[in-house]
Amino acid sequence: MFLTRSEYDHGVNTFSPEGRLFQVEYAIEAIKLGSTAIGIKTPEGVVLAVEKRVTSSLIIPSTIEKIVEVDSHIACAMSGLIADSKTLIDKARVEAQNHWFNYDEKMSVESVTQAVSDLALAFSDQEDEVYAMSRPFGVALLFAGVDETGPHLYHLEPSGTYIEYEAKAIGSGSEGAQQNLQDIYHKNMTIKEASKHALSILKQVMEEKLNATNIEMCTVSARDKTFHLFTKEEIEDVIKEM
Amino acid sequence: MFDIKTDTRKMPIEHHFNPYEMNGGTIVGVAGEDFAVIASDTRLSEGYSILSRENPHLYHVQPHTVMGSVGFHGDSLTFNKTLQIRLRMYEYENNKKCSTPAVAQLISTMLYSRRFFPYYVNTIVAGINNEGQGCIYSYDPVGSYEREVYRAGGSSSALIQPLLDSQLGLKNQGSFELSRSYTVKMSRENVVALVKDVFTAAAERDIYTGDAVFINIITKDGVFTEHFKLRRD
Amino acid sequence: MSIMSYNGGTVVAMAGKECVAIASDKRFGIQYSTVSMDYPKVFEMGPHLFLGLAGLATDVQTVSQRLKFRLNLYELQENRHIKPKTFSSMVSNLLYERRFGPYFIEPIIAGLDPKTHEPFISVMDLIGQPCISTDFAVIGTANEQLYGMCETLWQPNLEPNDLFETISQALMNAFDRDAYSGWGAVVYIIEKDKVTVKELKTRMD
Repeated sequence: MFLTRSEYDHGVNTFSPEGRLFQVEYAIEAIKLGSTAIGIKTPEGVVLAVEKRVTSSLIIPSTIEKIVEVDSHIACAMSGLIADSKTLIDKARVEAQNHWFNYDEKMSVESVTQAVSDLALAFSDQEDEVYAMSRPFGVALLFAGVDETGPHLYHLEPSGTYIEYEAKAIGSGSEGAQQNLQDIYHKNMTIKEASKHALSILKQVMEEKLNATNIEMCTVSARDKTFHLFTKEEIEDVIKEM
Repeated sequence: MFDIKTDTRKMPIEHHFNPYEMNGGTIVGVAGEDFAVIASDTRLSEGYSILSRENPHLYHVQPHTVMGSVGFHGDSLTFNKTLQIRLRMYEYENNKKCSTPAVAQLISTMLYSRRFFPYYVNTIVAGINNEGQGCIYSYDPVGSYEREVYRAGGSSSALIQPLLDSQLGLKNQGSFELSRSYTVKMSRENVVALVKDVFTAAAERDIYTGDAVFINIITKDGVFTEHFKLRRD
Repeated sequence: MSIMSYNGGTVVAMAGKECVAIASDKRFGIQYSTVSMDYPKVFEMGPHLFLGLAGLATDVQTVSQRLKFRLNLYELQENRHIKPKTFSSMVSNLLYERRFGPYFIEPIIAGLDPKTHEPFISVMDLIGQPCISTDFAVIGTANEQLYGMCETLWQPNLEPNDLFETISQALMNAFDRDAYSGWGAVVYIIEKDKVTVKELKTRMD
């Protein structure tokens, strides 16, 4: 597969004769090594659930953070090179606050995603060009939020492309998880149902046994338009009902 | 003993550029329950000269938002153009029109961004908010702003504001209760009639206000305009 | 900062049907500090004659007393009450004497002619340039606000009660938008056979 690519792999922004940007494609491959993350959109709000790979019993699991708050009405889950996400999340947070500062209203989920996607291709390995990154980001993001037009779930990948989904899985288990989502999804799901589905699908694709410490979960409810990160107890309650 | 000539010649001659001019003009805004009225005179002056008798100081910036801007005409025009650009960018970035409260906040930050070389303008914004209510916002030149029920701005603001206090705020009429409403209960027709009256009074005493009043009535169905003649001397 | 607005204060006069009214605020301040809230600026100069002075407080007192002095001399000499129009000339003369070192005040004269009871209102600048008006006159730190109020509220041939209501509303709403005046008001309604003095309770901020 990679045999013919070597010549065009030197410059990160160089097209191959077939019109491909290999470094960007490799970055997308990097996501497939990441832990699985799932998002489901319902009329009542959006659910995000991610697996945490606790590779050692000495790791303090709470320090692995794969779901973050962007603004009070927007959450973000990630998969891939988590360190790369820090720059993107910073950008998302600054843009959301700037929007509020300039317009006295909450930024829409799409606008936040669009703003972050601007960074995705802002990389260069030329010394005279000053960018934050010298290579593409190795992380994919799921933006979940509620704005004026209701609940939204966006998937953003290293190429800068973003697409809205009803339900989306990313990361190493994404292929199986996406198929599962397709089977269980229906438009009138409650947020509680979606939470249970998200965990049971995660359970199927995870290598470790799912428990309250090796996953993270959040909702953004359509009613109060607020981000809520589940506590350990709240996750345990959902697991019990699965 | 006093040789003024040699003394003064030792002094360097200072030339000073004054970047501002006061071009007069008056604006009035009133918020009704489901409409907002904003009006301005159409005179543009410079000292004792009249530059134009048909230059309204209102800028229709969004379908349901009108900005009134008076002071230095050059700054009014530039500020309006910059605002138009920002609003167009907003539309592209957010796939929707900018609401009146969002325009109001944007104007505040735009004015503040010139905190140390301000736009020499008095601004009033009128429009309909997302709840369909009439709303008025008023500003100082560096962006301090407030939502209000009614407001007069510009060269005749001192003449008109107490009149609005009396006729719309019902001040000094026995009730000491604070009004918590952001709108007046008056009908659209009565507000327009009152606006004509206050401009007639202002034109009587203020040389920087006159010629005509241009009235914008903003409702959910769009902006309706009216023209009313004032004295031209 | 103009010396004319050092102490603050404002006066308004209005003509009605066979009556005139004159009113002032009661504030005395030093720039933004209010020192006294019982400092009217209207002076009774005769049975039907009132003088309102706005401007520098020390000059208000000096001018009112010097005018009273000249007025007493006039009435002793002539043995009759002065006509408002004559008194207006007296004020104008006194002010013009200080053409190049003026009193920092502006006067309003309001009264009825002692014989014909014809209403009279005049107003001057600080060096005595007079202007006799048939409707209303305003001076002081709230003069712009008063122009706006009077220009819409005033109408010809107001009866004494309506004139009181009009001048009170004009003054109160005007000085509520002026930091330099307010803190109570006093209104004089001058009619042929009586003068009514009314103190207005207003907002004190």
